[in-house]
Amino acid sequence: MSGGIILAIVAVFVVLRVWLRRRGRSGQPRTRSGLGPFTGDVSLVAAREVRERIRGRVFRVGTLLILVVVAGAIVIPVLNRGTPRPQQIGLVGALSASLRADVVASGASVGTSVHFVSEADVAIAREALRSGRLDLAIVGGRQLMVNNPIGATDTSTTAQLVRAASKTLGVAEAVEAAKLSSAQASQLARAKPLPVTSLQPGAAKGAARATSLVGLILIFVMLTQYNAWILIGVMEEKSSRVVEVLLATVRPFQLLAGKVLGIGLVAFGQAALIVAFAIGLAKAVGSDLLQGTAPLVLASTLVWLVLGYAFYCWVYAAAGSMAERQDQIQSLAFPLSLPIIFSYVVSITAAASGGSSPLFEVLAYLPPTAPLAMPVLVGLGKATWWGFSASAVLSILSTLLVARLATNIYRRAILRTGRRVKLREVFVRVAG
Amino acid sequence: MGGLLELDGLTRRFGDLTALDGLSFSVPAGQVVGFLGPNGAGKTTTMRAIFGLTDLDAGTVRWNGAPVGQSERRSFGYMPEERGLYPGMLVGEQLQYLGRLHGMSASDAEVATKTWLERLGVADRADSKVEALSHGNQQRVQLAAALIHGPELLVLDEPLAGLDPTGIDAIGEVLVEQARAGCCVLFSSHQLDQVEDLCEAVTIIDHGRLVVTGSVDDLAARGPRRLVVRVEGDRDASWARGIAGVTVSEIDGGEARLVLDESVDSESVLRAAMGAGRITEFVFERRRLSEVFREALA
Repeated sequence: MSGGIILAIVAVFVVLRVWLRRRGRSGQPRTRSGLGPFTGDVSLVAAREVRERIRGRVFRVGTLLILVVVAGAIVIPVLNRGTPRPQQIGLVGALSASLRADVVASGASVGTSVHFVSEADVAIAREALRSGRLDLAIVGGRQLMVNNPIGATDTSTTAQLVRAASKTLGVAEAVEAAKLSSAQASQLARAKPLPVTSLQPGAAKGAARATSLVGLILIFVMLTQYNAWILIGVMEEKSSRVVEVLLATVRPFQLLAGKVLGIGLVAFGQAALIVAFAIGLAKAVGSDLLQGTAPLVLASTLVWLVLGYAFYCWVYAAAGSMAERQDQIQSLAFPLSLPIIFSYVVSITAAASGGSSPLFEVLAYLPPTAPLAMPVLVGLGKATWWGFSASAVLSILSTLLVARLATNIYRRAILRTGRRVKLREVFVRVAG
Repeated sequence: MGGLLELDGLTRRFGDLTALDGLSFSVPAGQVVGFLGPNGAGKTTTMRAIFGLTDLDAGTVRWNGAPVGQSERRSFGYMPEERGLYPGMLVGEQLQYLGRLHGMSASDAEVATKTWLERLGVADRADSKVEALSHGNQQRVQLAAALIHGPELLVLDEPLAGLDPTGIDAIGEVLVEQARAGCCVLFSSHQLDQVEDLCEAVTIIDHGRLVVTGSVDDLAARGPRRLVVRVEGDRDASWARGIAGVTVSEIDGGEARLVLDESVDSESVLRAAMGAGRITEFVFERRRLSEVFREALA
């Protein structure tokens, strides 16, 4: 399964690369040099786009903020898990070394360290419990005292420690009362819990789900952000009329392809930086975010980020060419964002609950919704390699169609100024 | 350099409106050609058609006899009516970028940017954002954007609009210089006096059709001859009223404007004037371009 998905990912990259090269070449009849399509107009336009975008302060500060949030999301859980406060145990009266060792072992079994404090008498120990200086007091090795009663469902560290210690000390007392031989006693002391095998993978699957959740949020934020860049970028070229100067020398497709490629490179670069930073940091601090199939989920997230961007960038570019003012853009942006928001809500529900629904599984195969749904399906372990590939191929094919249609709309609409261009007007001409 | 732009039967309809109606004319190299017409005559649509920015229902644009395609357009320079530069981009970088889109190498584009900014007197603004420039300076940068790659054809839609006299002189000088260097220069304007000063030839269109085209001298000399005569002491030009084929069109403070039929010999007018008194003024008057324009559209 995982081998298949890796193969599918590689295939998607190859297809995308070939497609971009082909589009780059077809839009560039001049042979300016032998350096391939990246010396052409599309790359000139893309290079300007990249330069202007990453120069912006908003972009730099924004990227830095995202990295800080990601760092926080990775480091804080590790810190919480890694260094719990040692449980303070007050000892009233003596406690043999072996029993102390048993209590330490009980602590270790629930993931905490313990610290023994000698208390002069029970009254002082009670006082210390009330004030919170002690978590637990052991009186004469026979009685355990806590401040608040411990319920059966209490999962706090102290509750777990108290349950484990009371059991251990009880057993120790029983062993002592049974007057067993020292060999028997030590055999009992070495008793280990039996190993338990679960049918489903545990923590690793949880990690994959958590990773797909993070990936989903990444895709949603990126698509929203960069689609807005395309929409506004195209609109600004129209409203500043610079597009007329540009289209006097380059073709509409070249200008459009350069723009979406440039912004796409910035988007993918930013996403790759965030993911690389997250992986590096997670490894460095030993986070469980990358356990099991999580890296695969991450890779599929990046693939679908590219596919999702490739699909939507054309749609938003066409929309941008129909408007030349902010207020005209509002009415265009909302309907376009609906499939993204809808699939985000359905996918995040699936990722959080850990269970998929038929609706969600259908969304994973529809080009407008697959970019958000499919990576989560992978995270849930419910994607087959052929399903993944089929969805990717479907997405690429529909992207080609959308790009073609969008270029036609763009060509018709970008030089029509004044009121907002109606879709009907351009479609009449596209069809005609 | 040196080429010929030919527009042949350009037709463009927007719904019921016919913007261009079989428009044909040509622009030879080495001349500044003024492109005139009332508002809505189709000037901007014609200029857009040259750059493929509007679809044509019929007609062809040819450059040196061959239909214009993308590679030809790369050697053209265009200054659209509504201008158009990236407001937030630095002036120097923007010009280099446009130069490169026209096929220049990075180093050539850099040199040309420097040259043109200096030539147009905005060298110190290379590192400013376009939006920070005054209207006049933006116009200069816009012209630089059209010139950066050394175009063979320069098409400028209202390049002088909104400029102060210094700006008009600076831009006018560049246009004439480009034409002298062998460039085809076509520019539209409503300021007919400036067109007359700058252009060797004009093309006037109306309702998408050609009305008249020719050299400014020819057009000004066409039609009946005009004489301006002043005779000392004479206020009403009564001496001229008796001459057959002569019409007194205007009398202004003793200065009589006469329109002569083809049959009339100007010497007979001179003799009649001499008979009336001492002549202080006797001048053949050229038609102003504005008159040519009004008559053409009448």
